[in-house]
Amino acid sequence: MTSVMMTVLNIAIIAMTLSILIPMYAAWKDEDIWQTMLSMASISTKSSLIVLMLSVLRDDWMIGVSGVIMISVGNAGFMLLAHILKRMGEA
Amino acid sequence: MMDSYLYIIIALLPLAAMMVVFQTNPYHALVIRGVLGAIAALVYSILGAPDVALTEALVGTLLAITLYAVAVRSSLVLTIGVLQEEFEIEDQTLDFQVLISAVQTSLDPYYVRVKLMPYADLKALDQALRQQEIHVKVYGNTISNAKLDEIQIKSYQLVTRLNRIYEIIKPDITSALVLLQSSDLKEAQS
Repeated sequence: MTSVMMTVLNIAIIAMTLSILIPMYAAWKDEDIWQTMLSMASISTKSSLIVLMLSVLRDDWMIGVSGVIMISVGNAGFMLLAHILKRMGEA
Repeated sequence: MMDSYLYIIIALLPLAAMMVVFQTNPYHALVIRGVLGAIAALVYSILGAPDVALTEALVGTLLAITLYAVAVRSSLVLTIGVLQEEFEIEDQTLDFQVLISAVQTSLDPYYVRVKLMPYADLKALDQALRQQEIHVKVYGNTISNAKLDEIQIKSYQLVTRLNRIYEIIKPDITSALVLLQSSDLKEAQS
């Protein structure tokens, strides 16, 4: 991989990391539980994508596999938690 | 220069941990715990421990959140025993709904929600309170006025067995028709 491409990937990772701060601020404000849930989904997807990007950058597919599993587990946990919270609102 | 993004990503971990620690609402804390789990998995995997990251994602985020959600759901509930006739929403009088919403309002700062549980008659209601199935029982007494015999006033009575609930609810129950008393359980058991 050329050094130009490495630099571009580095900058992209830094930008993605900084963009995690936006949903973290939204989770901090805590108005509605569903907004907090949305920020959680956003953060977990973003962090998994950072892991996938790093696996390409370092050419380490072990990290890539863990990133893929983090994406799918994050979505499953989100569905589970949303279902529990929805039933809490109905009761 | 090459690994300068590492410092930014690692700085997110104490930030998320602080958010969990300073969150007072248990439901919000539950969701932010999920955020902490995602960021922790990210940090572990960029520091070269994909096995730890995988464990954090599977156990720390998925299992811990599910168990914590079940715990919060089953513990932060105040069960109010009511008679069967008051249980259905269409059968409830306005006074009763005002009373229940006043109880809910007084419990809101503690993130406790109110759940109604129906019982067939007064005896079953009393039995449930003594056997600690419910925290509070509500029953109405119909006061028939001799002069105005068409108008029947229903006065509601709340009985709780817990002193703390009595202290929390008491300032918010302003209606004159409601009398709240801590029933003496020791006397009842003998």
